[in-house]
Amino acid sequence: MSNQSLKEESFDFDLRLKGILIVTIGIFVILGIRFYFLQVARHHDFQQRAENNRIREIPILAPRGAIYDRNGKTLVDNTPAYNVVVYPDAVKDFAQTIDALVRYFGVDREQITAELHNTRRSKSLPILVKQNANEADRAWVAAHGLDYSEINIELQPQRRYPHGKLAAHVLGYIGEISPRQLEDPRYADAGYKPGDIIGLSGIEAYYDKELRGENGMKRVIVDSRGVPLETLQEIPPKKGRDIFTTLDIDIQQVAEETFDNAGQRGVAIAMNPQNGEILALSSRPAYDPNIFAQNVISAGEKRAEVRALIRDPEHPLYNNAIQGRYPTGSTWKLLMAAAALEEEIITPKESRIVCGGGIQMGNRFVGCMGNHGSPAIHPAIVHSCDGYFYRLGLKMGVDKMHEWVVKFGAGGRTGIDLPHEVKGWIPDRDFKRKLNPKDPEWKDFDTVLASIGQGTVAITPIELLHSVSGIIAEGRYSTPHVMKELRDPVEPYKDEIVELKLSKETVDIVSYGAWGVVNEGGTAGGLFPRELNVGGKTGTAQVIAKEKVRGKEHHDHGWFICFAPLHTDEKPELAVVVLTPNGGFGGKVSAPKARQIVGAYYSKKLNRAIIPEMAGRFGLESPKAEISTAAQPSAPTARQ
Amino acid sequence: MVELKRRTLRDIDWALVAAPVGLTLFGCLGIYSTAPSHDFVKKQIMFLVLGLVVATVAMLTDYRKVITEIAPFFYAATLVLLLLVLFKGEEINGNKAWLRIPGLFGFQPSELAKLSTILMLARFMSRPRTGSLSIKDMAVMAAIVLPPVILIALGKDTGTMLTFGAILGAFYFLGGLRKRWLVAGVIAVGVGLVAVYPHLKPYQKERIIVIVDPEKADPRGYGYQTIQSMVAVGSGGVMGKGIGEGTQGKLGFLPYAYSDFIGAVVAEETGFVGVLLMMTLYLTLIYRLVHTAEGARDRAGSLMVMGLVALITFHIACNLGMVVGLMPIMGIPLPLMSAGGTAVITIFAGVGLALSVRLKRFVN
Repeated sequence: MSNQSLKEESFDFDLRLKGILIVTIGIFVILGIRFYFLQVARHHDFQQRAENNRIREIPILAPRGAIYDRNGKTLVDNTPAYNVVVYPDAVKDFAQTIDALVRYFGVDREQITAELHNTRRSKSLPILVKQNANEADRAWVAAHGLDYSEINIELQPQRRYPHGKLAAHVLGYIGEISPRQLEDPRYADAGYKPGDIIGLSGIEAYYDKELRGENGMKRVIVDSRGVPLETLQEIPPKKGRDIFTTLDIDIQQVAEETFDNAGQRGVAIAMNPQNGEILALSSRPAYDPNIFAQNVISAGEKRAEVRALIRDPEHPLYNNAIQGRYPTGSTWKLLMAAAALEEEIITPKESRIVCGGGIQMGNRFVGCMGNHGSPAIHPAIVHSCDGYFYRLGLKMGVDKMHEWVVKFGAGGRTGIDLPHEVKGWIPDRDFKRKLNPKDPEWKDFDTVLASIGQGTVAITPIELLHSVSGIIAEGRYSTPHVMKELRDPVEPYKDEIVELKLSKETVDIVSYGAWGVVNEGGTAGGLFPRELNVGGKTGTAQVIAKEKVRGKEHHDHGWFICFAPLHTDEKPELAVVVLTPNGGFGGKVSAPKARQIVGAYYSKKLNRAIIPEMAGRFGLESPKAEISTAAQPSAPTARQ
Repeated sequence: MVELKRRTLRDIDWALVAAPVGLTLFGCLGIYSTAPSHDFVKKQIMFLVLGLVVATVAMLTDYRKVITEIAPFFYAATLVLLLLVLFKGEEINGNKAWLRIPGLFGFQPSELAKLSTILMLARFMSRPRTGSLSIKDMAVMAAIVLPPVILIALGKDTGTMLTFGAILGAFYFLGGLRKRWLVAGVIAVGVGLVAVYPHLKPYQKERIIVIVDPEKADPRGYGYQTIQSMVAVGSGGVMGKGIGEGTQGKLGFLPYAYSDFIGAVVAEETGFVGVLLMMTLYLTLIYRLVHTAEGARDRAGSLMVMGLVALITFHIACNLGMVVGLMPIMGIPLPLMSAGGTAVITIFAGVGLALSVRLKRFVN
């Protein structure tokens, strides 16, 4: 009996029934608590998410501002282009869509995959797949509309640079904002978002905020397929502002041609020294910004061309006018002369210093191009006597030299309204110590080299132009700039002019000296029409290298800087600097280029070809030397 | 006859009738709001009426006869139907569960199989017996459950398979399962869940991840449904957005709004208040069924009714658990409220049989 009862363990059926009921009630309690949690405790969160689901903000793109030259000629504008786009929030099968895009539109697989899955990008914003769709592209999209409703053809504005490479470095180019830029607070705080197209260089970058305008926005209720049902609110876009630059397209063209025709690299800048307006700024080698405009997405068709530009060892994307540092050679002497006069190391009456054909520094002899006896300051400038300036520099000493050069605006950034300007290097005790730990002490030898623009001197062309222009403008230093005015509303460039106190005699002596270089058989003699009263200075800077065998890259840098008119009663209105790196003698390679630029400027101004090369250009006739100057507008006459 | 009828009428547990009717109508509100066409609501009401007819018939039968004589044929018939589904069934959303009668309507044999299995299990347990469940008993019961489970598994309907497990478990428990087996069973289930996880398909894993760690799940992937459901539920608040005003369900952000996720629609449109009402109705139904089982004259009747309780409770736990993001999505509908005719009729049939149990509780 007891055996049986052990085996047949009886159980309480009713208890077990109740047990199931209790478990059931327990389940309901748990569910009830959870519902409470979602619907009461966290109600607000979920309500927010529900709203986010159904309300979409679709941006209305603002047209980017156009860029013109000073006379209103178009340099950059927008043109409508048929582009292939894909909407991430309409994609049903990512793998399939990506395959299609790669196969039919040649998109880079990794790039487009990353773009489509980029969570920081608004999903209702279309991703650009291919710009300028051709017939085949359009046919494909139309044929596959049902299967790939997320791939569309849309008319979108495309940036256009009708003059190709012309003024490329000033104008810049555009592209998609990079992840690194998005992390930079300057961009993040200003409302830039992933997928935005921004200026990456030049005016496009510097004035991007003004050019881009403000996108408008449509708030719509959408269903789960993203189909807009109702528009709640529409904010129209604010057009980007147009920019009128200070450039003159004709002078810019001439500046670029002088290098292209000679097949040379180099820089040319033309500026108005009275107000800093830049009429032309050219850097060679150059590039065509249209390549970037037609390839704004990194996954585009032209990405190989873009990459080629970036990797080109000649660095066509660099703006050597503001990013390249070069020893200035003898052009530096104009700064030296001005500094010495202000410091009264020499005076207008007493300025003779021995040339000596050079100077002995310890066991080295630093030579001069000739032997000029004991010239005064004027012939020293005209004939570019090195010996004179070696001794002048030693008398001044590096500290005074440094002090004055800084006052003249060298060794820092000029503040030109273009990105990536670099600071030049000027004679500086501390700088040498930092740069040359093996030989940190400043020696007289360094001073000697510095006084003729070698050794520790390596500045950008714009810096040189700026510092000398200020002297020529009687101490009035305007900031070089390329933006003349913004439009709608009209907003001209606001400058902060720095006034440096210079004595009138200093300015006159420097101006006269430069005038002599051109008009008294100096190192740039006979290159400019007398009536223009051009004055300038040549420079031939040696490239210091350790190699014994000197190749092309070791040839001297040829500089020429000039102003017009000098040594007259009129204020100088044109300043030009030309640099031909590794080109040889400044007077030989750069001065002739400056001649073209000056010639173009005055030919336009006086409405006649002031030099024969300008004949037939800009609609001008060739110069007829016999015609009396009385019948035509003429350049200011020189002082006697 | 008339007198009989009047006593019968008084004897009917009207709460047991009202609750499922109320639930079905409640569900219709949500279906009306989110279904793509009004046909769905019309069909659901039609099935409600049909269900009441079936329930009435079932109520008036002698449930003992149903269990002992009709159950085997019913069981065999459902197995045949399940087989038919595998060959001629329609595949909807990845699993073959529907049979279409040409020209008429479609129905789900798996729902019928749940009821027929309950009846067969009750039949087995109706033989005179005492004491706890022997291993032989357990094996036979498992053998009853296995055929439909296998056939359903071949149709890839995981959720329905689990339901049979719950039913079998309830029968074991109420059939006298020894305590040690109960503990072993619970442990086995736990171990089984852990062991099976690595073998789950990616989409199944996603569904589990989204509950455990909602932030990690890809909101555009398989976790989407769960997240959207919680958004719908949560955004309903205390009072709900109003019938027909639910944005999530209506605008298509909630998939299967009118079937598996009907609970979310109700929560969104009627709020916490509506949810409490819904749960009260379910508890009423379940409690009245348990009460009926307690007062049943014989073991078989009790077990049959409790089988129905297990079925309904398991479905509610899984479905509402899924709606609130506590359980992974398993494709289990909400009883009476999810749009689906066969399920409605099955439950009403079960309710009818329960009423029969109640009416016959004094008969000897």
